[in-house]
Amino acid sequence: MKKLILLCLVLLLSGCVDKEILDDINIEVGVGYDLADDLKDKYRGTVLFQEFQPDKSVINRTFSGSGKLRQDLLLEVTKQSSEPVVTGGLKLAVFGPELSKKGIYDLVDSFQRDASIGARVFVATSEGKAEDMLNGEYGTRGNSTYIYNLIQHNIEHRDIPKTNLHILANDYYQEGKDPFLPRLKKLDDDKVEIAGISLFSKDREVEVLPVKDMFFFKLLVDKYSEGNFDVKLKKDELAAVKSLRSKHKIKITDHHASITINIEGIIREYTGDKLASEVVGAVQKNLEKKVEKECLRLLKQFQELGIDPIGLGQMKKSKHRNFDFKKWEDDYKTLSFDVKCNVTIEETGVIE
Amino acid sequence: MKEQPVPERLQISPFLVFYLVMSMQIGIGVLGYQRIIAMDAGYDAWISILFAGACIHVIVWMIYKIGDTVGGDIVTAHKYVVGNFLGKALCFIFIGYFILYSLTVVRTFIEVIQVWMFPELSTFWFSFGFMILCVYIIFGGFRTVVGTAFFGLVLPAYLLLTFGWAIKFSNFYNLLPIWDHSIKELLTASYHMSLTFIGFEIILFFYPFIKEPKKSQKWAHLAVLTTTLIYTILAIITFAYFSEDQLAKQIWASLTMWKIVEMPFVERFEYIGIANWNLIILPNVCISIWIASRLIKRVFNIRQKVGVFFVVAAVLSVIHFLDTREKINMLNNYVGKMGFAFTFLYIPLLFAAVMIAKKLKKGKKK
Repeated sequence: MKKLILLCLVLLLSGCVDKEILDDINIEVGVGYDLADDLKDKYRGTVLFQEFQPDKSVINRTFSGSGKLRQDLLLEVTKQSSEPVVTGGLKLAVFGPELSKKGIYDLVDSFQRDASIGARVFVATSEGKAEDMLNGEYGTRGNSTYIYNLIQHNIEHRDIPKTNLHILANDYYQEGKDPFLPRLKKLDDDKVEIAGISLFSKDREVEVLPVKDMFFFKLLVDKYSEGNFDVKLKKDELAAVKSLRSKHKIKITDHHASITINIEGIIREYTGDKLASEVVGAVQKNLEKKVEKECLRLLKQFQELGIDPIGLGQMKKSKHRNFDFKKWEDDYKTLSFDVKCNVTIEETGVIE
Repeated sequence: MKEQPVPERLQISPFLVFYLVMSMQIGIGVLGYQRIIAMDAGYDAWISILFAGACIHVIVWMIYKIGDTVGGDIVTAHKYVVGNFLGKALCFIFIGYFILYSLTVVRTFIEVIQVWMFPELSTFWFSFGFMILCVYIIFGGFRTVVGTAFFGLVLPAYLLLTFGWAIKFSNFYNLLPIWDHSIKELLTASYHMSLTFIGFEIILFFYPFIKEPKKSQKWAHLAVLTTTLIYTILAIITFAYFSEDQLAKQIWASLTMWKIVEMPFVERFEYIGIANWNLIILPNVCISIWIASRLIKRVFNIRQKVGVFFVVAAVLSVIHFLDTREKINMLNNYVGKMGFAFTFLYIPLLFAAVMIAKKLKKGKKK
């Protein structure tokens, strides 16, 4: 009898919460924000849904709306969508250029507050409107998956430093460090590319780092596990260094920061006559020189902009008790740098 | 005034004390203690956890000394010190304490479900279902409760590993420099650990149920040590994962860390984690209801089953009125403070009283 009552209760009580069946909801997979044209509204948001077809293809559907809050946008979008909208599958958030310059934190905060949004969401800025960015037709697996994978493999193998929603929030709240985000550009209706790195001061975009600086930027803020770089030797000789691994060490004294970057790699391609050991030496030296020069330039540039994406302040704080960030802000302006780079070429491929 | 001893078939092996203590300690506090201690001692707060853990060892030692001297639970100890009537009257507070404790655990867990998973979950019906399960377990006797404690600890233990995902996104430099805070700040943080740490005091209530109580002491100490280490490690990972101002905003830092978990078969790991947490909560509630009902039985000389129904009815009748974050937070604070007062003030006091009473009684015999 007792067991029977229990069984009944189990069956009855399981109906207590709302069900959400995958086929009957719209899962928000990507979202883009721009400044609204109408001054009354604050944002214009575009929400991207995926609709899976029986033949496994994916239809991209976007809805746009304006409002003062992120929830307003969702409300607006829900009005147009035939099924209820859920946010649990969000993978990508794109911010338009004007909005990034004005500050993005209100929106990022609302992502954080939403229990259903994960920490691995990629946040990016866009050149051109975020709405247009999401409105393309990229790849066959849906726009959101396409851009997500684009950023993902560029983090793993190429020049984007590790980034996601958690890291953005972490950097934003960390004193003595400023966030940065990858920047995307829509080339065509079916193509997107990485267009650089947006550098932020608190939550405002202040500068865009061009693609050619991204290699050096990643050396400074992150480590490489599988990078790639072409070294120019004299005349038309070029050598491609692959499988780059890098690590950086930062030492800060009162008015001086010295940064040591260690790089290990393999030469994969060479356009000269013979890859003799002198040439390997030259490749090493040229790469070292190049890295030292460019990194120093970047550091100076950050200093002029008054931003600290590397987290020198945070680094210094970890070495000093009762650290005063107010004083650090002044100190940073007069900080001097030196960059030392050590390159080791381990292999030169299967032929000599 | 000799009490009848607990028959051996109802007693438990000494090593099971390990599971009882640990599963009672680990409950809802662990979901968000990091922020609370970091408010006082910043990222040095892990030192406070170790310190609080060390203090608890002393208290556990006192508990065993009390139990050993009076040969029974806290009611016996009270009778030993202040006599029958007053001793029973003192136990009233503890009935209230454990009812409140179970109420806090259930309500806070429901809040977590409501915020993270199902906002429309009915507080009353969920706790009603939960309570039926608890009553069912408690009616099975103390040994069944201990069995729940065992499984409630062993089965969800894998959840500890899931925090490994956060390490990949952690910066352990956050913890440096060590000793950036004053001793006073560190002590305040230790004090605020109390809600997370309380639970070990239950030994004082089931002492007569342990087969060879003396042998179980090492297990109790081991349990406290393990909990302390788990809390410290989890705190260190949390501090490395969040920047300090970011952590200050996380009500449930441990749950937020699950947002980074990535598995091929599940998009949001929190759903699995929170559902599993049900198992961790279950022994918490069962043990505290069992203790409250046992105290009722000892004080009023009525059947324990009546006591169980009374406690459950009390919890169910109040739980509906705790509907906002502030109220729940207040409840948590109160229980934390009561727990602190009970474990760190009352137990040493009782210990001293028992020791004095023992001396006096010896003197009389001579």
